[in-house]
Amino acid sequence: MKIMIWMLLALTPAAAWSVYVFGIHALVRILTGTLSAVAAEAIFQKLTGQKITVKDGSAAITGTLMGMAVSISTPVYAVAFAAAFGIVAGKQLLGGLGKNLFNPMMFGRLFYLFVFPDSILPWRAPFTFEAVSGATPLEILRETGQTAGIPLSDMFLGLIPGAIGEVSTLALLIGFSILVYKKFVRWRIPAAAFSAVLVLAVISGQNPLYHFFAGSLMFGACFMATDPMTSPRFPKGQIFFGIGIGLIIMAMRWWGWQTPGEYEFTEGTTFAVLIMNLFTPYLNKKFKPVKK
Amino acid sequence: MNSLIRGTSVIVIMLIVGLGWSKIGAARLRKRGVAEAEAKSQASAQAKKFSIIAAFLYMVSMVSIAGLFM
Repeated sequence: MKIMIWMLLALTPAAAWSVYVFGIHALVRILTGTLSAVAAEAIFQKLTGQKITVKDGSAAITGTLMGMAVSISTPVYAVAFAAAFGIVAGKQLLGGLGKNLFNPMMFGRLFYLFVFPDSILPWRAPFTFEAVSGATPLEILRETGQTAGIPLSDMFLGLIPGAIGEVSTLALLIGFSILVYKKFVRWRIPAAAFSAVLVLAVISGQNPLYHFFAGSLMFGACFMATDPMTSPRFPKGQIFFGIGIGLIIMAMRWWGWQTPGEYEFTEGTTFAVLIMNLFTPYLNKKFKPVKK
Repeated sequence: MNSLIRGTSVIVIMLIVGLGWSKIGAARLRKRGVAEAEAKSQASAQAKKFSIIAAFLYMVSMVSIAGLFM
């Protein structure tokens, strides 16, 4: 419970910033995600005769993250469905907290990207909420191999269009540093992911800072990949896990994927974390420290 | 394919794999000499896991296959 409260506190800077730049639209989606996840968990547990465990806060965090991972163009019902699906299919079906194979939020997000592929569009500008029809920084990068002419300071502060909780790298880093300070997070995972991205960006002649500040790398690596239930327990495993995430993210950023709709994936954080979740049991087994 | 069909297809895949494996898995375990109740319980746990992996693979592959034809 204590760790969950700190986790929610760590998400507060990014959530507060998103409400500041995207107004009530952001708040509604964050609250919808949170309430849907909590309600889905309580209803599922009630129907299956289990003890209701929503007070542990894990469902609230999953829902909050889900609400922060969409744009303000996303219909509220899509957020609700995704959060509920993530909780029920991604977590409760396998027996609840600690028994899940995939990160429930990321599983919900994959469902959302598959079922409502175009609902994330159009991206909307901060403060004015006007639809942005131009290509995103990552789309420009993929199409031209060049970085867009968006000031890095705007990307760092969060003055760009994007998903609600992902726009401000600064706010995410403030939240993440709280978790690192309290030792509630497996910091090696984002460190390894950022290192992989840094090396690949430098090799390809692209600005690594652009990669760090654009898309959902920061949000995903700091808050989703570090999920204690679905990430490796041991340091070496965490490093391999993080490197895998960084490699997949960069592959997606270079080549991308077309969704069943108009939306093109130029960001692979969801896929990267879910794919690496599949390797977590192996990494735990492989890198389990040997007692001397 | 609209959202309703896509969403339903995910649930259907999960049901087919889950229900299918709970029967196949239980039969396999019974053949190995596991008791009826234990076989059902183990197969049910495996079936849930496989249905989730199937949903994951389905969604990822549909996205990538769709990408190939668009």
